[in-house]
Amino acid sequence: MRPFDYARPATREQAVQLLAATPGRAAVLAGGSDLLALMKDGVVTPERLVSLQGLQGDHTLRFLRYTAAAGFRIGALTTLADLAASEVLRLEHPVVAETAGRLAGPQIRNVATVGGNLCQRPRCWYFRSGFGLLAAREGASLVVAGDNRHHAILGNDGPAYFVTPSTLAPVLIALDAEVVLLGPQGERTIPLEKLYRLPLAEGEREHDLGPGEILTELQLGPAAGRQVGTWEVRQRETLDWSLATAAVALEMEDGRVKRARVVLGQVAPLPWTSREAESFLTGKTIDEAAADEAAKLAVQGAKPLSKNRYKVQLARVAVRRALLAATGLDREL
Amino acid sequence: MNGIGASPPRPDGFAKVSGAARYLDDLSLPGMWHGATLRSPHAHARIRSIAWDAALAPDGAVCVTVGDLPGPNGVQLIDDGWPILAGAFTHHVGEPVALVAAPTRLAAQQALQAFTVTYEPLDAVLSLEAAEALPPLYQLGMDSGDVDAALARADLVVEGEYRTGHQEHIYIECNGMIASYAEDGALTVLGSMQCPYYVQKALTHALGLADEQVRVRATTVGGGFGGKEDFPSAIALHAALLARACGRPVKLVYDRHEDIVCTSKRHPTLVRHRTGVTRDGRLAALDIEILMDGGAYTTLSSVVLSRALLHSFGPYRCADVRIRARALRTHTAPNSAFRGFGAPQVEFAIERQMDRIAHRLGLDPLEIRLRNAVAPGDRLPTGQILDAGTSALPCLEEVARRTRFRERRQELEAARARRAAEGDEDQNGAEPRRGIGLSLYFHGAGFTGNGERMMKSPVTARLLPDGRIEVLTAMTDMGQGCSAVFPQIAAAAGGLLPEDVTFAEPDTAEVPDSGPTVASRTTMIVGGLIARVTAALRDRVLEGLPGHTVRDGWIESPAGRVERFRDAARRLRAEHGPVELTLRHEPPAWQTFDETTYRGAAYPTYAWGADVVEVEVDPDTLAVRPLQVTAVCEVGRAIHPTLCAGQIEGGTLQALGWALLEEMKLEDGRYLNDRLATYVIPTILDSPRIDVHLLESHRDGGGPFGGPFGAKGVGELPMDGGAPAVAQAIENATGIGVPAIPATPERLLAWQRAGQTPGGVR
Repeated sequence: MRPFDYARPATREQAVQLLAATPGRAAVLAGGSDLLALMKDGVVTPERLVSLQGLQGDHTLRFLRYTAAAGFRIGALTTLADLAASEVLRLEHPVVAETAGRLAGPQIRNVATVGGNLCQRPRCWYFRSGFGLLAAREGASLVVAGDNRHHAILGNDGPAYFVTPSTLAPVLIALDAEVVLLGPQGERTIPLEKLYRLPLAEGEREHDLGPGEILTELQLGPAAGRQVGTWEVRQRETLDWSLATAAVALEMEDGRVKRARVVLGQVAPLPWTSREAESFLTGKTIDEAAADEAAKLAVQGAKPLSKNRYKVQLARVAVRRALLAATGLDREL
Repeated sequence: MNGIGASPPRPDGFAKVSGAARYLDDLSLPGMWHGATLRSPHAHARIRSIAWDAALAPDGAVCVTVGDLPGPNGVQLIDDGWPILAGAFTHHVGEPVALVAAPTRLAAQQALQAFTVTYEPLDAVLSLEAAEALPPLYQLGMDSGDVDAALARADLVVEGEYRTGHQEHIYIECNGMIASYAEDGALTVLGSMQCPYYVQKALTHALGLADEQVRVRATTVGGGFGGKEDFPSAIALHAALLARACGRPVKLVYDRHEDIVCTSKRHPTLVRHRTGVTRDGRLAALDIEILMDGGAYTTLSSVVLSRALLHSFGPYRCADVRIRARALRTHTAPNSAFRGFGAPQVEFAIERQMDRIAHRLGLDPLEIRLRNAVAPGDRLPTGQILDAGTSALPCLEEVARRTRFRERRQELEAARARRAAEGDEDQNGAEPRRGIGLSLYFHGAGFTGNGERMMKSPVTARLLPDGRIEVLTAMTDMGQGCSAVFPQIAAAAGGLLPEDVTFAEPDTAEVPDSGPTVASRTTMIVGGLIARVTAALRDRVLEGLPGHTVRDGWIESPAGRVERFRDAARRLRAEHGPVELTLRHEPPAWQTFDETTYRGAAYPTYAWGADVVEVEVDPDTLAVRPLQVTAVCEVGRAIHPTLCAGQIEGGTLQALGWALLEEMKLEDGRYLNDRLATYVIPTILDSPRIDVHLLESHRDGGGPFGGPFGAKGVGELPMDGGAPAVAQAIENATGIGVPAIPATPERLLAWQRAGQTPGGVR
């Protein structure tokens, strides 16, 4: 690991200033479970770490507040273990608490934060081996020519082929969560979905975070009767990232879908909302046939790379099972 | 309870569990510097130049390049063809090119930037297919009978091609060494290793030092699995060269990433079978071709290949056998020793071939094995006549009985048929499919061929002034438990209590060269010597006491007077001074082996096993979940049944990881998944329930092969059975043929599309 400056500001504004003072050369340290591994491997080499662990009083970011009217305000430094253990979250959004409780392993969940989970960097092995986020050499993608079995099957027109790593993001996006970003120009609140973007050139980030901007808070409305389901396909049972994830949230009216959200993870460079599946489901009653059709539509536009055709099947299965889980049909089978 | 067959607590256990055990990286010497290694980024390249700009190196860092070597540029193992540092060429990604030492680990890492190396990249050979046409690193053959005639006569000839991939050891403790020179030029090396005398030999050979000038001490070893058989020699040399260059002790420790990038893996293997069978399913001819990917240098590939050849026919009877085996050269890190030493790969292949034959003949997997498994008195293709402890059939029968294999297989088949009839067999049937699989396996214990005869393996016992017996061996406890098993053997053989015997630390300045801690030889060969030498030293104590007997640490005179053995031993030691005995291993006279024809008794005995695995396969994703493994293993005599069963559980899980999850992905000679985040091994949640049942064939306290109390080597045996059993279970569950491992969902989907069936490609 390269030497770096370490700052531990007491206020959020100081943190933003410290980051903005050296744009691009400073990094935010929350739980560190992703950042420190990237630094040890020399993938990122920040000159300054700005720790958010020293924030004082009202500035602390480890909180989970709930009101029946507005739902949850969750500080970015809330750990995944906090989420999994929160009684009120378990009651209101059990699928979110369960997803958090399945991530990584207990040691990681005890340090990894909500903000860090949403802002973690891709697991692409070219990126992690120092070939850059876009892994291009002389204008050509190493991923397209190389071992791309874990890479994108959707949204992969280039230049990005990595997949978004967060397993929490799809279910939160399906629940219309928002995030609060604090920067030198002040605070803004955006849908979580808009936090993610496709980088178009090496050096661009896959998150919509301006210089000095930090994610301070996650806002998650009340469940409001939505039916929610997720499905993760993994290589092994724990301590692993998913190969494909789907999250579904359905607003129902008279037994029919009034509004559907269908979001896939680990299949595209950003959490992938399937408008095709969503509009198909609207107005339908969910049965196995509808789940099948929605799943097919969700991967209809998939363009597998040379070695990841199998992921199309995994994504399809994930959507189908998430829908069945959301409607409780999986238990009736 | 400490006797043979009891399971006393392991003496190293508390320190390891409580964190008190000190591993190499916990140690520090005064004034110690840290080393780092500059590695080749190319799979194959000419090194045009290496420049070192001292101005760019922090804190007075020093460097070592190939020109600084004081002697031959070779790590002495079987030969010295493996370079210490790359010379004019580099032959794999991660090959050491130069070394640095600096006051801190960070400074050493930074000092690597002071090198400028000019490479001229060359074409690289990166697959077995590409390597097949080129001269091999090593080749072997064995012929028994007339294979061509037997194939021509056979009712059916079945062909098959089976592949297995790289496997990384993932010992918990990564490789590491500390080297320091004394003022008189004597060198001491501490480190994590299986074979202190291998390391010493490599150091004396390359540094031009005499044996007595080089002392090697094994520190607490956090796992080895074969991965600390050869690489410690290279790393010790690197640390020593740096210590020599900077005039201080130097520590060289790999982090996980570096350890995965540059150290050895299990050989990827391709086995081609052509088998003649009779209509009733008896093997008539075995024509076997083995190709192993040796990587860039031979290291131990010749002996791995040899063991592979000698296990490739499986535990089956067949008179007409032809085997051709080649270790091929590719531009990857040398592949080398890994638990099983070539046997798991070839036993996967023969077991898959047996399944394919059974499928063609309409026999079940149990029946084909019952008809062909060897029994006492049978001959192996090498001509070896099998001893009374040959337990292939007892293992098979016991595992089938315990798991109700046939009935269970029929139940599962009926359930699948029922579901198919109900029309729930479409692609989207969410209900997992169950399958059951079985394997039969064997493992030759101890060195192959004449290895033990040449090694001799001296073990010393001496009386300490306090009357205890001290036993000296070079064996390291890397977690397998010899520090628990050895005292049991010594106490039982000597009629003593465990506390009457103590064991020296593996340190070449103290202990004799009782050989490496490898090849499932530690309990059987060295344990046998410990039994004999302890009994012999006890007899020395009794020489002056005619008619006396020893039991449980007490000596009884003919008149019935008793005293502690230790008191009598202390008296003898006080009166006579040092009392010391050394015994050497002498294989049984009948065990002779011809290294050129590969005929004869390759091993003094074999351990046997049979596994049944039940799996659940997701019908949509084809993800495989092993639910239950039943392993029946015949081990001669279980000295410490808990540790013995632990070896079998651990080896079985390691085999399941290799079969289902673990895969090294190579690109341009680089391992893409060179981190634990991407090289996925099973966790406890991925582990099925593993039931282990031990069978013991010992008679009257021993066997004709010299293992203590009849114990056979067991460390590697369980690595042989898991993969073929799980492959068969997947086939049983899905109807998809599994010709290779790891059987990941993505491969299963591809095989399904390609029409792979248990009988071959449709």
